[in-house]
Amino acid sequence: MTKQTILHDRHVKLGARMVDFAGWDMPVQYVSIIDEHKTVRENAGLFDVSHMGEIVIEGDDALPFLNKIVPQNISILKDKKAVYCQLTNKDGGIIDDLIIYNIEHNKYLIVVNASRADEDINWMALNKPGFDIRIINQSHNYSLLALQGPKAKDIMKKMGIEELPPFFSIKRDEIFNINVWISRTGYTGEDGVEILLLNEFAGYMWDKILEYGKEFGIKPIGLGARDTLRLEASMPLYGNDLDLDTTPVEAGLSWSIPKDKTEDYNGKAVIEEQLKNGVTKRLIGLKMTDRGIARHGYDVYYNNEKIGTVTSGGIAPTRGDNIALAYIKNLPEIKVGSNIHIMIREKLHNAEVVKRPFIHKHNH
Amino acid sequence: MSEGMLCSKSHEYILEQNGEHIIGLTDYAVEQLGDIVFVELPEVGATFKKGETFATVESVKAASEIYMPISGTIKEINEDIISSPELLNEDPLGKAWLVKVDTDADEAEYKDLMEYDDYKEEVE
Repeated sequence: MTKQTILHDRHVKLGARMVDFAGWDMPVQYVSIIDEHKTVRENAGLFDVSHMGEIVIEGDDALPFLNKIVPQNISILKDKKAVYCQLTNKDGGIIDDLIIYNIEHNKYLIVVNASRADEDINWMALNKPGFDIRIINQSHNYSLLALQGPKAKDIMKKMGIEELPPFFSIKRDEIFNINVWISRTGYTGEDGVEILLLNEFAGYMWDKILEYGKEFGIKPIGLGARDTLRLEASMPLYGNDLDLDTTPVEAGLSWSIPKDKTEDYNGKAVIEEQLKNGVTKRLIGLKMTDRGIARHGYDVYYNNEKIGTVTSGGIAPTRGDNIALAYIKNLPEIKVGSNIHIMIREKLHNAEVVKRPFIHKHNH
Repeated sequence: MSEGMLCSKSHEYILEQNGEHIIGLTDYAVEQLGDIVFVELPEVGATFKKGETFATVESVKAASEIYMPISGTIKEINEDIISSPELLNEDPLGKAWLVKVDTDADEAEYKDLMEYDDYKEEVE
């Protein structure tokens, strides 16, 4: 059966088109994906991302446990700080990508993809023996609202939050006397916050944010624009750009793997070998130079030879062109500026390898 | 505007007007697709049988193939929607037609096409 967030009825009343996403009936758009995309880049947008999973790890061994399951060094994660990580298997393959928050001593919050939450919990449970921890799935108790865009700050201020936590930090606070966690994170490339709160207050908070944000041009934003926004910001999407057959090194996420981490972690041997000796496939960004849209699954060619596959692609409303992420054979001659081809409806179309992110980000 | 318009189950329309056969995409189809961002049309002179793919329309989310509602040869294509695909969202039954064709399709080819009002009733 399809799951619904607490805000489902509100989305339907707002006229959203609902689609199945990872087993959840979610709004893909309220009016127009392009308009919603621009609203987030120019003003502010409100997303219901309550389908995402929240897992709490607590106990005396919480820190060594997390250090075992992700390549990131959690030992240096200070109180109320957040860090982007991947959950890796023994082969270095990515089980999920996630954000870990240090919320108090020996207690961490992990926000995970809806599509992977069950798998994540199973994997954590498999890794638990020997660690004094509790794995608590809080997904069904909490809702998550993302308020993103250059005006997010102003809207929060109007709601009584004078100061936002620093980037990639979280704080406990109250909005309209409701206890919330406010995190300065997001999936759009814009400044903004994610607000975590108990389900029972989510409807009230959603309505209030839309009401207080009205003068700043706020709109509710569906998953369609969430996808175009994250693609422009070159943030990978699990299931498209990341999967069990891909390591963080191949995915261009080496920046999230400290070289000096002493603790052993799942997949460390493979990942360190790749960091040292290189990879056979790698992620690139590209823009179409011919008319045409590269989409998930399309083949990438170089000198008439198939060298890879597009994993995410589409229009870039802020840039006004068509962009994509693709995995290609790690050929040294292909670099930024190289001309490659995308097979679209049995015809090769010109594309150019470009720097990522595709847009200048405002969230760091 | 929809007077005399015949629609297929796959959401194309054909309209005979001043001796021309105009083919387009129904307002219902356009509404379902959402923001249209790319249109690929065939070359003038190309011939297609009823049911064959003759064009591609892409929304933000996906590419959709468009099928010929009747057999015919492309006589004219709508250049305006190639440069401004969003016109399809604004006026699919009017200014944003796709192609004009020459056709000698027989009556049998029209059998499964519906009058616009009947089509609307079926899809909505």
